[in-house]
Amino acid sequence: MSALTHRRYSRNVLNRLINEAPGDPHALTDDHRRSLSARFRGVASADHRRLDAWMVERAGEPMGAFRWSPTTAKRVVGNAALRRTLNDPTLTRFDAVDIEVTDQLLRAASGYARAGSLASYLAQASPSVLGLVSAEAANWATQLGEAVEGIDAPWSVAMSDAYYDVARARTTLRGRRDVIVTRGLSRILLRVRAGAPGKSAGPGLRADLTIDALAEPTGLAATRVIGLWPEAGVVLSVDGTMEDLRSGARDLVRTAVAHQRQRLARAA
Amino acid sequence: MTSLLDAPPLNVMDVLRGERTTRPVANATAAPGLRALLEDGIFELFGSALRDEPVTVRASSFRAAPFVSELCGSTLAQVRGILITQALRLMSVGLDVGDAFHEALLAWRADVGANELTNFVDHLDAGDRARLVTDVTAHCVTLKRSLGPLSNRWLPRTSLRAYQRLAGGNVVLRDVVDLMVGTTTSDVASVALLDVTTSPLGEGGERVMRYHALVQTLRTSIAPLRTSMFSTATGELWSLDVDDELLTRAALDVLDVLTRLVVVA
Repeated sequence: MSALTHRRYSRNVLNRLINEAPGDPHALTDDHRRSLSARFRGVASADHRRLDAWMVERAGEPMGAFRWSPTTAKRVVGNAALRRTLNDPTLTRFDAVDIEVTDQLLRAASGYARAGSLASYLAQASPSVLGLVSAEAANWATQLGEAVEGIDAPWSVAMSDAYYDVARARTTLRGRRDVIVTRGLSRILLRVRAGAPGKSAGPGLRADLTIDALAEPTGLAATRVIGLWPEAGVVLSVDGTMEDLRSGARDLVRTAVAHQRQRLARAA
Repeated sequence: MTSLLDAPPLNVMDVLRGERTTRPVANATAAPGLRALLEDGIFELFGSALRDEPVTVRASSFRAAPFVSELCGSTLAQVRGILITQALRLMSVGLDVGDAFHEALLAWRADVGANELTNFVDHLDAGDRARLVTDVTAHCVTLKRSLGPLSNRWLPRTSLRAYQRLAGGNVVLRDVVDLMVGTTTSDVASVALLDVTTSPLGEGGERVMRYHALVQTLRTSIAPLRTSMFSTATGELWSLDVDDELLTRAALDVLDVLTRLVVVA
């Protein structure tokens, strides 16, 4: 049975959710991957499609074109800043944000940034826009830092989101993850989102759980994925059971179908 | 008459931070009681049926007399408020805001792209635009002079949004706090909230300050240390220490607003 837990955010709620997570992780096998790939191949697509939890929550509704802005840059810069403060505890989160922004600018100046990347966006931004990026990133790093600094188990800021290319299906899946908590052999994922969770927040968490397991070479799934909505003070969690993994995969395939139908309807 | 002061006047940040040694223990028990008070009151107003559209309460729901809101609610005043908020955000990361209007406008555009309000600014005639530039500059000078040093050790966060759903989604409390300092993870209360307004402080100001404290308490389960409001129009600062009584009054304010909305509907 699928288990979606809803909690109000309070001190120690993350510790409780982490401690109550199931002990043994489930694993996706090569058969699971082949089966998923076959289902995605069944959904024709002229272009390469990219699916994530947000699209699952919006039932495949296409998103507007991505553009960098202080709001879209905050998570990348904020998470990187928090990672820096873990490596160097003498840094404040604000100092770390400054260093991260400077680092991105250096990357652009030295020619390592490709067009459309965060570094090239920052390099073209005015000082006031850079200031706003720093303010947003500092908000993000502080909110996330406050939430996770009380976690008893070892944790780290994820180096990147989870990406999985579905073989021969012209499909890339992207799973969001901000913090990874390690408990023995098992992992627990923490994902932070702005706003408030909608009715489809559970399927979104399951999609992230499934994509993360697919992106793991061993196929081992996280034992729990926790979604934190700091603005709403709400925490949801989904266990990494085989039922939840299957449900996540089904939702992803359904999203691909819905997305394709909407594309065809728009083209007609 | 000339008055001589013994000490320099306090700036906004001094008032917000207060005396560190006298801070009370963080109140982590108030939130469930407040939520229950609100849920009970809402049940009496709306019953148990789920509404198609939630009733949304915002800080602006507490502002006073209609003629004041007419004066302050014009599109120009709205734009001025947004630009001063952007300027505060830039100051919070240590940027020296020299040309307040243009720097704040650039930051705002980068954030929201093009919308009705940015188009409104684009289509202002030269006279109105010059008036807006002067206005924003004047308000920003007041803010800069009064704010005081903002150390990044105080964890300043700006434009923090909050969203609280009550009574199964029948009522939604929305809020944006312009500046928040302090942490919710400390054993003593240390979070201070600041609302910066470009209007003079008026009748509804205290209710707005209480509302910020209430929503922050519901969101984090930790009551803030104090809630303040600063007017860049007059340079006035109001500040209230947050206690159980203030939070209860804030909850009753929310129920009053909801009652008013039900009567109007």
